Parts: sequence; C-alpha cells; structure tokens
Amino acid sequence: MHKYWEISKTYMKTQLVYRLDIIFNMLFTVTKILFAYLLWGMVFKNKDMAGMFTFHSMVSYYIISSFLSQLEMSSGISNEIYWRIRNGTFSKYMVIPAGIEKYFLAMEFGVVLFYILFDFIAALIWVFIFQIDFIFTNNLVVIACAVVITLLGLLFMVQLNYLLGIMGLKYQGIQTFLMVKDNLVMLVTGGIVPLALFPDAVVDILSLMPFYYITYLPAMLFTGFCQDEAVSGIFIILCWCIVLQVVINIFWKKNVKNYEGVGI
Amino acid sequence: MSENIIKIEDLTKKYRRFKKKEGIKGSIASLWKREYEEKTAVNQVSLSVRQGEFIGLVGPNGAGKTTLIKMMTGIIAPSSGRIDVLGYYPNDLKNSFKKKYAIVMGQKSQLFFELTVNDTLRLFKEIYEIPEEKFLESRDYFVQLFGVADIMDVQVRTLSLGERMKMELLTALLHNPEILFLDEPTIGLDAVAAKQIRKFLKEINRQRGTTIILTSHYMEDIKALCERTVVINHGMKIFDGRTSELFEKYQKNKRISVTFHNIEDNINLQTEITGVSNENPYKKVYEVARENSKALLAEIMEFNPDDIIIEEEEIGVIVERIYQEGGICNA
Repeated sequence: MHKYWEISKTYMKTQLVYRLDIIFNMLFTVTKILFAYLLWGMVFKNKDMAGMFTFHSMVSYYIISSFLSQLEMSSGISNEIYWRIRNGTFSKYMVIPAGIEKYFLAMEFGVVLFYILFDFIAALIWVFIFQIDFIFTNNLVVIACAVVITLLGLLFMVQLNYLLGIMGLKYQGIQTFLMVKDNLVMLVTGGIVPLALFPDAVVDILSLMPFYYITYLPAMLFTGFCQDEAVSGIFIILCWCIVLQVVINIFWKKNVKNYEGVGI
Repeated sequence: MSENIIKIEDLTKKYRRFKKKEGIKGSIASLWKREYEEKTAVNQVSLSVRQGEFIGLVGPNGAGKTTLIKMMTGIIAPSSGRIDVLGYYPNDLKNSFKKKYAIVMGQKSQLFFELTVNDTLRLFKEIYEIPEEKFLESRDYFVQLFGVADIMDVQVRTLSLGERMKMELLTALLHNPEILFLDEPTIGLDAVAAKQIRKFLKEINRQRGTTIILTSHYMEDIKALCERTVVINHGMKIFDGRTSELFEKYQKNKRISVTFHNIEDNINLQTEITGVSNENPYKKVYEVARENSKALLAEIMEFNPDDIIIEEEEIGVIVERIYQEGGICNA
C-alpha cells in the first residue's frame, strides 16, 4: 500500500511544481460560478422554480457538480496508455514491481488530492465573496453516501479510461471508443443540465448507467435531493466497478501478449 | 563455476505487420483488403548466462538485440521457444521477478522530468520495498560512485544527457538487482560521459557481482566492458564467445582518415594497406590491417598531416566477415 501512496504523493508533487499554474487554476474556478449565475439567473428571471429547483439550489447544484466533474480527470489516462502502447514506451510501467492499473489509480488519486485541496479552498472563497445562499444537506448519512458514491464514481472512470487505453493492445486506434465515451459522459453525468429536468422514464434508464453516479447523483445528494437513492446508488456503482474490473482482467490477460514494445 | 541464471532455448519472436501500396488508391484499397507480412525479429536463439557475467549483445540496426532483451525482461512474449530468467517465465510479469532485475534503455526514461532525482528515488524505494537503511546505504554508495551529490536536488529536466544517464543508472540500481539489462546506455553521450558510464558499469559488475547484459552500437563499449560477446544478425545468433576472440578474428582492419594542409598526390607508402579512398583532395582514408596501423601512422607523420582520425571497424563489417568465414558459435 505504501508504494501506491508514494505514487500519489509523487504525482501531487508534480502538480505543485509551477506556481502560476496553481494560482490560475484557483482563479478560474470563479468562471464556473459566474457562468452559473448568468445562465440560471436568465432562466429564473421570470419564475421561482424550474422542476424541483429554486435559483439558489440550482446554483448550488451547478457549483458542486462542476467541482466534482473537475475532480474527474482520468480521461488523460486512456490517451497516455494508448500512445505509450503505440510508441513502445508502455514498457516503463511493465518493468516496475507495481500493478499497472493500481499505478494509474494512485496517480489519479494524487492529482485529485491536489485539486480537492486547492479548488475547494478557491470555491469556498468565491462562495463567500459572491454571497451565495449555498444549499447543502445536513443529513450526515446522505453526505457519507455521497462521498462514497463520488469515490466509487472516480474509481469507475479510472477503470473505464484504463480499459480504453489498454484497448490499444488489440486495436490500432481507440479514438472512436473515446468519442462515444466522452459524449455519453457529457450527457449522462448531468454536467450541463441536471438530469432531473429530463422526463422520468429517461432518468430511470439513465440511473442504471454508471455515469449517472459520477457527478449527477453525488451533486444532487449534497444539495439535499434524491436522498432515497443514496444507498441503492452505492450498490449500483459498486456493481459497475466490479463488472468493469472483471472485463479489464480478462482483456489484459488475453491481449498483453500482443504488446510489441516497438517504437522509440 | 556459477550457475546459469538465464536459460534460453530456440527462442523466436515473430511480428505481423500491415502492408499497404503507396498513394491514396492504396490507402482506400486497404480499407477493404488488408495485407500483412510476418517478420522474424528473433530466430531460434539459444543462450545461457552465468551469474556475474558481463555480456555484450551486438549487431546492426534491426538485428534483434532489443527484442531479445524485451523477451528476457518480460516486456514482450516470445512466439515460440523456452525462456527462463532467474527461475521465472518473464512474460508472467510477476512483481517478485521484476524486483530481481533492472533495465535501462538509452532512449526511455524512468525519471520524472519535473521533479528532482531524490523525489524519484523516494518513489522507487517504495515501489521496490527497500528498507530505509538499505535505501540510504545504496543511494549514498551510488551518489559517491557517480559523483552526483550536488545535482540530487535539481529538476531532472535541467540535467545534461550524461548526468541524466547516471541518474537513470542510479535509479535502476537502487534495489541492487541481480541482472542489469542495458540497451544502448551510451547513445548520444560525448566521449567523456561514455567513458565515465563504462567505468561505473565495470565497478558495479566487479564490486556487486551484478550480471550485466549490454547492447551497444559502439564497439568501444563492448571491448572495454564485456568478457563475452554475442553477435546477432537478422534475428540469429552468429557468434557467441570471448570478446577478445571476436576482435582478434574478425576485426582485422583500422580506418585511418588523414587530412593534409596541401593537396598530396604523390604519397608512396611502404606499409601494406588494404584500401584507400579520397574523400576530397585534402583528405585520404586508409584501410589498414591492425598490425600495420602503427607503421602506417609513422609513415604518414612524415607528410606533416593536419589531422588524423583512427577508427575501429564497425559492427556491420564484423558481421559481414563472420558470414564470409562461415560463422562460428561457441555457445
């Protein structure tokens, strides 16, 4: 376990190298808050409610959801793995005595830790400056469930991007897979519009998909909505993680022999 | 006699590669019908390596040296044949196996360019589960050996190529591996840095008993370091024996390039030479048998040359000669 914690720390250290990057990253969190204010301010100009949302609950949802989606940065993993397989430098991960998937998971954790720390501080400052009437549940069980779902959601995304990356062992290109994934994630995570504004039947179908649990459900739970889905949410995303892990193990075992290590 | 820690029998690696006719027509046609060709990178190679040996693996570009090393480290799986390294089948990629060897590839880095070497070493200490005491002992030993104490806390990206290679070696050797695989470690290095790296490798092999398998294009590396050399060409082993024997038997000539201040047309040499060419009116390139090179140099000095460069024959020439003389295999 120590080795993976050290990997996380190492990648956190790489995030802390350039001071200007850190400052700008913190400053740009304000753009999300401004965007939420402008967008939903227009929508709520002539009405008090949209679906189950008030203006403040919508802005709170938007801030939390964009904060959570910012934490999900694993999309780089698939390209990193894929290109390293293509140019032969994937060997770098194959020769060290650490699980490759766990290495990427630890790497992601280190990067996420950095963003949690700095973006959270920045978001708190902006919420205070903009005097936002921030809506946040006070139910500790729901908060705990939301945290667990968030972590499992991040795990799922690392697994998914890892799987897409190692598909480079079998396929010459993975761009089509990445495009399908990106579009699905954009729509189903509720990063643009809360899924609660969709018809119930659509939401029921989407709630069976893993992407529903990446940012949408945790953001809803944190803002006090969908509390009845808290426990079932953990179960569903956990099942997805297990299924995906089985697929990864089978795919890896079957295709690792295809790696040619040819390139640079 | 120490035991064999690498046992390879009839090892073969075949690749399948996509072929396409040139031009846009060929590209469109390849959407319907794909042609593939098979390339044998390593062809029925058998090899045994004893503990503590320092072996040179040489051959021209594309000969199969790196592919062989990749199979020995488990990076790629063989197509057929048997391979046993330290009691493991390498491509099982077991962590316990990976802890017993290290690999340094001249063009691939394990260092974090944005961080310092000390940061990378801390990471590798945990990855290889090295106890703190052993880690400090090992780190201090190599830092002193390589003379790099003053650059351990600077960003890796600011290091020179020679310094970076020392750090790659330091990182690789931290866990005291039983086998060190080196793929072109002196590539791109200047003469001084390459000489330093050779000195360190010799020291590590002698003092720590580390088995080293080295691929290099530079015959100087092989001559200076390896007692035994394996020559590979077109994926096949064509020589396996003492390095001194290889050079005595097959590296017969030296190439001496001489630049003169004036155009020298009438140089009549007494020393027997095997060939001469004029690169330009001021420069002559002589091919001469090794035993005659001293006499030729003495004669040339009488013409007061501007510059003299003496080079060993390249691996390609040696390979060609091994073929011409029927090839030998001492393994």
